[in-house]
Amino acid sequence: MNDRRHAPVSRRQLLQNVACGFGGLALSAMAHQNASASAKKAGNSLGELPTHFPPCAKRVIFIFMQGGPSQVDTFDYKPALAEQDGNSFEFSDARVKANSGKKVSTHKLMKSPWKFRQYGETGRWVSDLFPETARHVDDMAMVHSMHTEGVAHGPATIFLHTGATNFVRPSVGSWITYGLGTENANLPGFVAICPSAGNGGPRNYGSAFLPPSCQGTAIGDPNSPDIMIRDLKNPSTSRNEQQRHLQLTQALNRQQLLQNGGGAELESVVKSYELAWRMQSHAPELLDLVGETPETLKLYGIGEKETDKFGRQCLIARRLCEAGVRYLQVNYGDNGANPAWDQHSNLPKHEQHARRVDRPISALLTDLKRRGLLEDTLVWWGSEFGRTPYSQSNGTGRDHNPSGFTMWLAGGGVKPGITYGSTDEFGHQAVENKVHMHDMHATILHLLGIDHEKLTYRYSGRDFRLTDVHGHVVHDLFA
Amino acid sequence: MLYRLRKLAFLLVLPFPVFAHSAASATEPMFSADDVQFFEQKIRPVLVEHCYSCHSAEAASNDELQGGLLVDTRAGLLEGGDSGPAVLPGKPTDGMLLDALRYETFEMPPSGPLPKTVIADFEEWIRRGAADPRTGKSPSTIKRAIDIEAGREHWAYQPIPDVVVPPKTGDFAATPIDAFVQQRLKEAGIQPNPRADRRTLIRRLYFDLLGLPPKPQQIDEFIADQSSDAYEKLVDRLLSSPAFGQRWGRHWLDIARFAESVTLRGLVQHQAWRYRDYTIEAFNADLPYNEFLKQQIAGDLLPAETIAEQRRNAIATTFLTMTNANLEDQDKEKLRMDVVDEQLTVIGSAILGQTIGCARCHDHKFDPIPTRDYYAMAGILSNIRTLQTSNVSRWLDLPLAVDPEQQTQIDQFAQKTKSLETEIASLKTQLGQAAPKPVVASIESLPGIIVDDEDATFVGEWQHSTFSKPFVGRGYHHDQNTARGEKFAIYKTQLPMSGIYEVRVSVSIGSNRSTHVPITIHAADGKHEKIINQQVKPPIDELFHSLGKYEFRADEPATVTISNAGATGVVVAEAVQFLSPKISSTTPKSPKDKAKELEKQQRTKTLTAQLKSLEKELSTLRKQAPVQPAYMGVVERPEIKETRINIRGNVHNLGAVAPRGFLQVASGEADFEMPADESGRVQLGEWLADPANPLPARVMANRVWHWLFGAGLVRTTDNFGKTGETPSHPELLDYLARRFIDQNWSVKSLIREIVLSETYRRANHSNPGEDEAHRMTVDPENRLLWRRNRKRLEAECLLDSMLCVSQEIDMQHGGKTLRDGLSADYDYHYESHRRGVYWPVLRNSLPEMMQVFDGANPSLVTGRRNTSSVSPQALFLMNNQWVIGRCEATAKWLLADEDATDEERIHRLFRTALGRPPTSEELALSLEFVTATTDETTDREMRWSHLVQSVFSSLDFRFVD
Repeated sequence: MNDRRHAPVSRRQLLQNVACGFGGLALSAMAHQNASASAKKAGNSLGELPTHFPPCAKRVIFIFMQGGPSQVDTFDYKPALAEQDGNSFEFSDARVKANSGKKVSTHKLMKSPWKFRQYGETGRWVSDLFPETARHVDDMAMVHSMHTEGVAHGPATIFLHTGATNFVRPSVGSWITYGLGTENANLPGFVAICPSAGNGGPRNYGSAFLPPSCQGTAIGDPNSPDIMIRDLKNPSTSRNEQQRHLQLTQALNRQQLLQNGGGAELESVVKSYELAWRMQSHAPELLDLVGETPETLKLYGIGEKETDKFGRQCLIARRLCEAGVRYLQVNYGDNGANPAWDQHSNLPKHEQHARRVDRPISALLTDLKRRGLLEDTLVWWGSEFGRTPYSQSNGTGRDHNPSGFTMWLAGGGVKPGITYGSTDEFGHQAVENKVHMHDMHATILHLLGIDHEKLTYRYSGRDFRLTDVHGHVVHDLFA
Repeated sequence: MLYRLRKLAFLLVLPFPVFAHSAASATEPMFSADDVQFFEQKIRPVLVEHCYSCHSAEAASNDELQGGLLVDTRAGLLEGGDSGPAVLPGKPTDGMLLDALRYETFEMPPSGPLPKTVIADFEEWIRRGAADPRTGKSPSTIKRAIDIEAGREHWAYQPIPDVVVPPKTGDFAATPIDAFVQQRLKEAGIQPNPRADRRTLIRRLYFDLLGLPPKPQQIDEFIADQSSDAYEKLVDRLLSSPAFGQRWGRHWLDIARFAESVTLRGLVQHQAWRYRDYTIEAFNADLPYNEFLKQQIAGDLLPAETIAEQRRNAIATTFLTMTNANLEDQDKEKLRMDVVDEQLTVIGSAILGQTIGCARCHDHKFDPIPTRDYYAMAGILSNIRTLQTSNVSRWLDLPLAVDPEQQTQIDQFAQKTKSLETEIASLKTQLGQAAPKPVVASIESLPGIIVDDEDATFVGEWQHSTFSKPFVGRGYHHDQNTARGEKFAIYKTQLPMSGIYEVRVSVSIGSNRSTHVPITIHAADGKHEKIINQQVKPPIDELFHSLGKYEFRADEPATVTISNAGATGVVVAEAVQFLSPKISSTTPKSPKDKAKELEKQQRTKTLTAQLKSLEKELSTLRKQAPVQPAYMGVVERPEIKETRINIRGNVHNLGAVAPRGFLQVASGEADFEMPADESGRVQLGEWLADPANPLPARVMANRVWHWLFGAGLVRTTDNFGKTGETPSHPELLDYLARRFIDQNWSVKSLIREIVLSETYRRANHSNPGEDEAHRMTVDPENRLLWRRNRKRLEAECLLDSMLCVSQEIDMQHGGKTLRDGLSADYDYHYESHRRGVYWPVLRNSLPEMMQVFDGANPSLVTGRRNTSSVSPQALFLMNNQWVIGRCEATAKWLLADEDATDEERIHRLFRTALGRPPTSEELALSLEFVTATTDETTDREMRWSHLVQSVFSSLDFRFVD
């Protein structure tokens, strides 16, 4: 697979491009083409790579809920929890086990403070935390039997993103970009929208030993209102002036290319200025939400205090996905050691997070569907782990739970309206049709047409893969 | 006890016994016909269908045997695989098989669990004695054994020979290096490029040796120098420049994964900078590389003659601490082994060019490194401590030696501080300040009548607890937050006399408590209801709420009832107190008492004054106190323990003991005795420094070649194993390695010899002749070194160059560059004019220049940096504020000379930035750009700044030939 990255680009072609001069063609093309047309055009000539088998999904939007939303308070309805509220039972608690080796410890069940209702034709139960998202249950495949590695945020978050708890490995998006290339040469293939700096930070969208072009491009962060690609806008020069200045750069480069007898490494640098200019001309519009109707903005809750930021993140995700970005990570979280959904105490705070994300997520699904994008876009929702159905010692919150939690998928070849796997009667441990995070990774790659055992990269004398030596594709999730 | 590591080859050819209980018995047991029939009908078909493809002799013969487990023979099941016996007849709960089928340990078969009825059959079969008529081999007889002796035949493990230099032929064979290169070129019929011109050579040398551009004046002088040894003089001058260590030290920091923070939580490592300084100094002082290695591994244990040496040696071991492990990992034993694994992996790839890490879980698949060798080395590193274990574990900042006088001072200050602290503490105790908060108030200590919860009558289920302090007596009861309105705690007592009493209740508060707790008081005049909030701190002694004053009669019981009706959380029932002035426990004060009280007040006053003065003294002392310098290091464990093999790399699945030792395939004849009272790091260092170990010298000679030529003789610089590349010029590599050792492992001598060769001095491109096509066909990748490889400037070189051109560079040497007290590395703002090597390396906030231009990933051993040409680099050069700042500074500098013409300025810019004057076309383009009128008004300085930016973006700035 290594070799596929070096798509042969003819030397003459490159020289011709350079000789045409910078600007002319690229500039006019960019000004008049809409995003998807240019995506298709650029995609065919630059770096879309063949898959192992026909793909169902072409791109992925991963909605990351950082900190561990509680499955028993959201999508995994457990009536027994309310019935046994306050009663103590013995559980195999992951943290106790990791710290002390003790297999069982006694904990007191805590019922959900939220009411559950049935939604859709399928009648799936969803709590009052996600009433808007719940309207899409008929399009979702709920996986209730997730389990993963790592009891603390750091290890589990990195595991979710890279398939390893401790070692520096490429992230899911990097593997996918490496495997499939980019659909749009004017944009990065992998974008992380407002990633958190904590709990792994750049490692969660890093390419590790894969080529740097597979690295996720971070835009925005959890704290600032801006969501923009770094160095995309010139702070002090007008567009015309900068264009003139870039023409000078490329004129000098043409001279120097001749003096130095050419060479692929020089040509690729010259080429990179053209790509950069196209990106600079193209991307800000996408990120500034130019051309969206008031109805759409309202749908996402943009302009309303609680939903504005995450609404914009979701809308940008749709726009980038439409423009051909292969892998999008939409992050809801923060830089803290107890990020966002991490309610060890004060479980009711879940409500605050839910109110910020519920409507934008619902809007994203609605919007993707009405634009026909949901067919080949895989939406993946979830967190690094879930939470325990029992309370922590202070009795008002729940601890981390890597042994059983819910993720859902929608679109991109996923069987709509199903549930898969289950946890025990209290929602603690996955018991039926367990899906390990490695399995989820394998399944996502499969939907994209990639065999997770064949997507390998030789590094340090060994063939590495996202799923290490693990991972089973969950075929039952496919439409 | 001493462990001796000798030639253990005999042990390795034989498979070693990993498992304590090999249960295969020699005698054939007898099974009942029923049991055998059960096996044939219920068990065998399942094994064949679901297990044989990975766990049978056939799988083994295809090299597809998994987990070392055979289930196609009885012996295989009894002996089991890597994780232990699969079946123990009669004991269904003990073997691995049933757990795996139940998906409790392994999850077998991987395609999905078998039906419950089938699993029940297996359970019954085992319980009935695991009848199994199948005969055949156990896995230990068919396991693949690594043959170390055969493995030694791989080129990298061969002893480094004394190579005979080929005879010199023609003009090119100027040095032995050239002779080796020429030999292969001649075989391939390739004519190499001529020597590059002086202008090219000086730029090449400056960047390769110092990482800086030459100044125009230095270029002119070199070009003008007519002496025959002009080049040699230049080389020697550069090798003795302090900038040399900054350039070459950075190379090593790539290998060592130098960083000053960890990804998780962005924790900042404030002492890491010392290792950067140490490394730079080591290269400047040309510390013999083998000594350097010894220091990396065991510097803190080496003898030192001076304090300075002791410090240097200790700081070198920061090498072992540069982990980016997940300090938050809750499985601390796994974390500890992960850190050991990282240390081994780094020692492997950095120093030995070996992928040792592969042998953590299984014998190396390609190289002769058995798991046992891995754990032999892990055994050494397991006996040191690298982290302080905690919820979020932490690296160790250890005291750094200082000269005795200074140490005495530090100690004196420390002693003084300590004694002051003791005095202060004692004063505080006397004043009652330091007394811990009332954790438990004894009933006797409280005035009035106390009815504690122990004496209360409870309705409904109440739970006794002592979890939340403070409380009265021996604890409190709570309602478990259940059955609201159904639980009562009734406090009943007979008061000694009728009268008015104040009623108080104590509460042990907590955030989960009810904010609404109804309490009923049955007084003489009837019932009174009060509500209290059990989340807020009680106002009286942080223990009691007052419920008001009520009249009680001595002939009727006084009753207080706490209920959980309408509660919002946990309801607590604690003590109830009845207070009456008439029965105050304190007797009226006598004059004597009053005098005592006065005296007490006086004493308190004096003590408080004393305390204040002492506290002031302490604070002053702390400000003056000399700080004990610290370094990041490791400590030996007090007790040396042997390490067990972690089966499949699982720290909780332990196998046989692996005596401490090294990679046998690379061990020569020398004996290294493992001390019983030390980890063995000193021996590990000596083994690495031993000239008989063929790997370190070869690996380093090749690295030096790579750093000079842009490609090693072995291009996989970190992997000399079978999956790595073979050397393009094996004899040349051996020659260099041998020379390296013979010249006392001097890196500078090695560099000098290489850069003085003709091979190094070749031009990148020459006028294409007929030969060009031939050369490009035969050797397009320039493996035969017929030309100079064109090199991209690395991130640090770009950064340093821009600062040189803008005349802003700060060439200060060494020191800490991170702000003291910085606690997290997020969003670190870089604002420095120092060389790139001195910019802090923060894992969550790498300088953008390093991120974009392929700086080393500080979490991975980076022997070769990436050389990408991606558009974010272009965007960075076009729009980044820092770059624009350097361009503006350069423009200012160019315009400062008011007498100069624009043409002269352009000359100055090109000569400073590119080391050459502009061509006539470049001059014309540049002139036109700065003088042209456009419809937009741009000021002159900005125009010039844009010109500078174009030059910074140009190929000749970004590449060096």
